[in-house]
Amino acid sequence: MSGMLDNGDTLTTGTGETLVVDRLLGQGGQGEVYRVTLPDGSAKALKWYYPESATPQQRRVVEDLVERDFDDERFLWPTAFVDAAPDRFGYLMDVRPDRFRGLPELFRRTVTTSFRELLTACLYTVEAYQALHSRGIAYRDISWGNIFFDPTTGDVLVCDNDNAVVEGDRSGISGTMGFMAPELVRGDPGAMPGTQSDLHSLSVLLFMFLVNHHPFKGARELAIRCLDEHAERRLYGKDPLFIFDPDDPDNRPDPVEHTTARVLWPLVPPSLQKLFTQNFTVGLREPSARVRESQWRDALRAARDAIVECPNCGRPNMTEPGAATPGTCWKDGAPLVLPPRLVVTTPPPRSERHIMLGRAARIHRHHLTAEPTRHDYSDGSLVAELVEHPQKPGRYGLANRSAEAWTGTRSDGTSQRIVPGQTVPLRAGLALELADGARAEVRAR
Amino acid sequence: MSALATWDILETSVIGYGKGLNQDSVRTGGTGAATDPVVLAVADGHGSASYPRSDIGARFAAELFAAKGREFGALVRTGRLPWLRDYARYELPEQLVRDWQARVWAHWGRQPGPEGADAPREEVLRLYGSTLVGAVLAPGLFVAWQLGDGDLTVVDPDGRVRLPLAPERAELGDETASLCLPEAWHLVRVHWEPLPEPARAPRLVALSTDGLSKSFASDAGFTEFTSGLYARLASRGLPGIEDDVPRWLEAASRHSGDDTTLALALRAEDGGAGRDGGVAGADPREAWARAPEPARPWGPGAETEAEADPTSDLSDPPSSLSNPGPNLSDPLSERSDPTGGTRNDDEETERP
Repeated sequence: MSGMLDNGDTLTTGTGETLVVDRLLGQGGQGEVYRVTLPDGSAKALKWYYPESATPQQRRVVEDLVERDFDDERFLWPTAFVDAAPDRFGYLMDVRPDRFRGLPELFRRTVTTSFRELLTACLYTVEAYQALHSRGIAYRDISWGNIFFDPTTGDVLVCDNDNAVVEGDRSGISGTMGFMAPELVRGDPGAMPGTQSDLHSLSVLLFMFLVNHHPFKGARELAIRCLDEHAERRLYGKDPLFIFDPDDPDNRPDPVEHTTARVLWPLVPPSLQKLFTQNFTVGLREPSARVRESQWRDALRAARDAIVECPNCGRPNMTEPGAATPGTCWKDGAPLVLPPRLVVTTPPPRSERHIMLGRAARIHRHHLTAEPTRHDYSDGSLVAELVEHPQKPGRYGLANRSAEAWTGTRSDGTSQRIVPGQTVPLRAGLALELADGARAEVRAR
Repeated sequence: MSALATWDILETSVIGYGKGLNQDSVRTGGTGAATDPVVLAVADGHGSASYPRSDIGARFAAELFAAKGREFGALVRTGRLPWLRDYARYELPEQLVRDWQARVWAHWGRQPGPEGADAPREEVLRLYGSTLVGAVLAPGLFVAWQLGDGDLTVVDPDGRVRLPLAPERAELGDETASLCLPEAWHLVRVHWEPLPEPARAPRLVALSTDGLSKSFASDAGFTEFTSGLYARLASRGLPGIEDDVPRWLEAASRHSGDDTTLALALRAEDGGAGRDGGVAGADPREAWARAPEPARPWGPGAETEAEADPTSDLSDPPSSLSNPGPNLSDPLSERSDPTGGTRNDDEETERP
């Protein structure tokens, strides 16, 4: 191999642990990543910087990140500094589990996923960066190269966290051009990477999750003969134009070259389209107008709850939350039918969640809270789910998967107790008293 | 970037045994200097009656890569690795595919076939279908791209042979990704290898169309061939094997029945080629002799078969190329549908 380290090389962490290099895993823009073994036999990943990236500034950033000891499973955070010489250093992190896949695989259609998982991944991505920002850390290099997702669950893993710095830190401006906020690409006086610029990068990333295309790559890019750094600065900094800008059609996606974007954009619910449009029009010029994480979170979770399965092929379709007409299936064009919905009202501060009761409907703990700290769609957070009667096919009920009993009140005023494990038949008008003051009501439409 | 040694380059292409037209194409150039990066490209037109213009498509592919590769090499500067990496992974593949398709479409416009100048674009592109393997060696950086079958083989200073762009999964029959597919840039595999320490840079970088690797009964045979080739290069230098390479490729084409093309760059640093002396110079052809069995029988029977069907080209993608990619009206459809795809490196999949 031509990597900087050899298999079998030994290095020492800042805490005195000796690690042995197993093999080169990959090479990136700033350094190489090796699989290494620690004295206890556990495997870790070692990022080892190229000489040109092994600057005192980078050393300071990484040492600071290690000290922060940021314990969050959504991030492959630097856990130990590894030092060999002033210009030869790196850091340890966990090895990325195989279940996490990159966006290029999504674009190649080599992973199996659905809109439900993609919306989940978007929501988790938003919350992951929100967790960083709430700690005063700006990521500074949000891009599709740094985020991985589990196509079966939507879980996300943020990698390459070694450019994250405390908000306001002036450590070298970095980032991937196509994801950098325009003011940073242009190098505007006073513009610094921070939460505001992260919000732009985040929107680009979410757009690529859902539309599988870059929001500024339309007709204008096609007219560029060589997309070099100068051309990129124009496309992303000096003259960015959203491909679906409602007021300026000059950069529309090409009918031949950009078919994926043209087909997927109309499938995105209008409430999300509106946020993208805000971010990629007025938000380009006014950083303070960019969509905040909480706005993304609210719109994404509502869109996820509004997913409807096609009655013909069963594929999940995104629909506009609250819309009376769900449209047609993206796959086979069959008319979609709105199923009954469960309207959950959270304890104060009261807010409503509208969950489509399709075949795969599940209610999770975060549905019962107005401001959940995190959304979690895993089995472990399940509160209720739609199930079919085992002896009476076609009849459905809501199974209590929580640890607390519910009280159900039918439309005729009679009530019943639904203990954990029991199922209450689904009927319009059924009202449920759930845990901790949350209420729910089944509505036919 | 660190200074890097210069490279000697060689290219050879032979027509497939029994074929009337070589549908491979090759372009090489450069020395590896900052102002003159090494650029290697081999392209393999799909062949067979379904792709009557694939020789032109392969030529366009190799020519375009040579130009794009030089442009890319000229962008290499100290401190630019992160940007270059994104450019290499995302921008260049897209430009390459797009430019190839535009050039093909323009060619069709000038010289339309019986289908007429207004034939559907996708059908026209398919007539020119080709694979591509390309590499750029600039000071401090080695990058390679691959779309479809073919091989990138690298020999390190310690003599180890590796195939950095080999698909993770064995290819499905002879199906292959192609420049003619919609949004084919998503299918381009990229090998990114910064070379911060010149002494640890590869000694040999070889690109070949699949006519070469298919002539071996096993992957090990092909690796052994490359290892032997390097040993011979190390002992004799390029001039010492230039006359032999066409004969080796002809032998390969008799095994594979396919056009066979090789482009290589040999690092001439620290005494390099022809100056190592004494390296055991195993004749690469011995690898064929030692192979348990050839991929296809050769000898009278095979020759008769080839003569009987001169278009029987193993590199031909299957007839499923009549639907060469995702249904564009259905962007969430699986791209590896065995009835509609030409994948060679990806899992079969479908979004539920």
